[in-house]
Amino acid sequence: MVMENRVCIVGLGVVEPGGNTRGVAHKELLFHATRRALDDAGIERELIGGAITASSDFTEGRSLSNQYTLDSIGGVMKPCDLRLAEDGMHALFAGYMEVMVDPGLLMVVAAVQKPSERVGRRNGFHKILSACLDPIYNRPICNTVPHAESLEAVFGAMDARAYMERSRVTEELLARVAVKNINNAAAASGEPATAVEDVLASSELAWPLRDLTMAREKDAACTLILTSEKNAGKLRKEPVFISGVGWSTEGSHLAARSYGMSPDTQKAAHQAYRMAGIRRPEKEIDLAEVSDWYAHRELIHVEALGLCDPGETVLRIEDGGFDREGPIPVNVSGGLLGKGNSLIVSGLLRVAEVARRIRGDAVDVTSRKVCVGLAHSWGGFISPTAGVAVLSKW
Amino acid sequence: MARKVAIVGVGMQKFEFCKVETIEEMVFDVARNALEDARLSKDDIDAVVTGSAVDAFCGIVNSDKVATDGAGGFLKPTMRNSTSGSSAVSTPILGYNHVASGMYDIVMVICYEKMSENASAQAVFNTVYDEAYVRPIGLNVPIQCGLEARAYLHRYGLTERQMAKVSVKNRGNAISNPYAQLPMKLTVDDVMASPYLSWPVKLLDTSPVTDGARAVILASEDVARELTDSPVWIRGTGRGADSVWFMGRANPDLGRLDYAYLAARQAYEMAGIKDPAVEIDYAEVYDPFTFKEMQHCEALGLCPEGGAGRMIDEGVSWKDGALPVNASGGLQGEGNPIGAGMSRLNWCYLQIQGKAGDCQVSKDVNTAVCNAWGGMYQYNAVMVIGRD
Repeated sequence: MVMENRVCIVGLGVVEPGGNTRGVAHKELLFHATRRALDDAGIERELIGGAITASSDFTEGRSLSNQYTLDSIGGVMKPCDLRLAEDGMHALFAGYMEVMVDPGLLMVVAAVQKPSERVGRRNGFHKILSACLDPIYNRPICNTVPHAESLEAVFGAMDARAYMERSRVTEELLARVAVKNINNAAAASGEPATAVEDVLASSELAWPLRDLTMAREKDAACTLILTSEKNAGKLRKEPVFISGVGWSTEGSHLAARSYGMSPDTQKAAHQAYRMAGIRRPEKEIDLAEVSDWYAHRELIHVEALGLCDPGETVLRIEDGGFDREGPIPVNVSGGLLGKGNSLIVSGLLRVAEVARRIRGDAVDVTSRKVCVGLAHSWGGFISPTAGVAVLSKW
Repeated sequence: MARKVAIVGVGMQKFEFCKVETIEEMVFDVARNALEDARLSKDDIDAVVTGSAVDAFCGIVNSDKVATDGAGGFLKPTMRNSTSGSSAVSTPILGYNHVASGMYDIVMVICYEKMSENASAQAVFNTVYDEAYVRPIGLNVPIQCGLEARAYLHRYGLTERQMAKVSVKNRGNAISNPYAQLPMKLTVDDVMASPYLSWPVKLLDTSPVTDGARAVILASEDVARELTDSPVWIRGTGRGADSVWFMGRANPDLGRLDYAYLAARQAYEMAGIKDPAVEIDYAEVYDPFTFKEMQHCEALGLCPEGGAGRMIDEGVSWKDGALPVNASGGLQGEGNPIGAGMSRLNWCYLQIQGKAGDCQVSKDVNTAVCNAWGGMYQYNAVMVIGRD
């Protein structure tokens, strides 16, 4: 039965993180991603009914950075236009609701990030991180960190310590997570493999965080085209259904945040699973792409998503349960650790990766068939939000 | 298909040049007021939608995350809209989508802005432009609007005195508004004598820099009918955005806002309104500059194209006129905390409910329209609300 307003992805276009973006303006990055998405769906921009972009002003050095991208996605003089200052995955959620309201729409949702335009070590991310905190109670804490540039690593390390304490996961196991993701990405690009020893030998940023267990920022852009099932029948690509979505925000005060766990992910997953009718995620989900901003965050998220019982995480890593050929492959694409962290684009990229694998046209096709996949995004310490999307073949 | 969505409560607070409260406290205040107005508790709220223009005003990255706790959004779905000034109406439209799509039943919509935290709001506005081609020219809002106002007056043969009358009307109306920042009893000559900021825009043609917040609670039909006997429905929504290159717009004439006409057309089609000048009882029109109210009245079909001058001359848009516009004082009189211009929607709701206090117009109000303008001066959002 064709349901009128089941929402599906009918086109996707990606400018992969890590490519050469020198001389390509951030508007152009998004244009290329959108062009690919339109070609993928086999449509032209005249058919686009609405456009949503998400962005964050400070990471792009421009106020109203989200508005600035309108021309790149064919959004000029289109009726359903929204601009979000959010993680990119929220553009998918807003687009989802737009199509639910008007099933006749062809909706473009997109995000772009070009951190390489920022100057300084790690692109001056520590300044953005301190600016996201409440200026009266929280921000002064940043001044107590001896080297301002290590601010992110200090926050990440506190989180990692809390998680390690609770879960008994060791540094070596965290290194194995990083190795899995880095090698997943390397397998696709043909680069030499990394060993656990290499990760443990990489420079320590703030114990236990190391250079290779913290994702590095990379430029990227991603565009998805959404429409209803009824509309999708007219297009050439087989649609990928969005069967559940959920998002949630935790408080922003440092002292009130939960360290070493992710209640926002839990809430978001709960909502998405309820919509998708998923009761046993560990059995029903074939593949997951989750935020691995830091190696330990992958494990926190996998637990919060219900893909693994918290008591069994150690065992699962040792058994290779999240590997490419394991029962639930996690971050087969390489994730953020392997491919790079494109901040607000990362979430939308996870969705694109899962959609590709469901369609079976990923660059490195896994042997297994993927019918139900999960994409997860986490806003990092700058934005304590989580988003979950469950995608399915039918 | 889309579900019906009602407004069940609004939260107000006084607009000021510099509020002592933090963003979190401002947001808490209006959220509390809205919950009381709707007789709900924060646990009843399913999702929170926030709107604010530019983070650089308050200097906090993702400032909505700091505001979330105060809005009752802790561990709930939150989403932040940001289309500069038009966040004022595009944010409730995003909230409308939350409910109309069937995702949530009760949604808190919060708009806030704290502009007093930076040295110059206009220096911040310069950072919205392209850094290579436009930013170095030093463009900001008054300069861009000077260009637009000149083109508009020229295109339709309107005068600066007609612009001045809008300022007199709105600042005068604000005297009855307890939340207003800049109520003033003015004459046209006072406005004409104020200094030019960017010809033909004068100081008293503009709106002030403001801190403030507003809240609106939206609910699905089932919930709304439980809460009230006379729900106010969102009957139409519309949005339109032209190219961000103002020299490359679909209509290169800056005097005509094609995107605003596009937004209004959608909203009226959805609401089934054929002749807005007759069917709309009350309007809150976005008036950061006096000529913007005139342009928007035309785009919203409240007067014929080019007829905004006659509309103000003949007293149609005055508080006791046939089609009152901005009886609250608008942005000119009430204050202009960019995103929190959602006050326009709040006042439409209050007028329909007959709860506008001294700002209440004498005629019956069943259907009202509000709009907001923003983005990079090329985005318009329109909302029509009304009784059954």
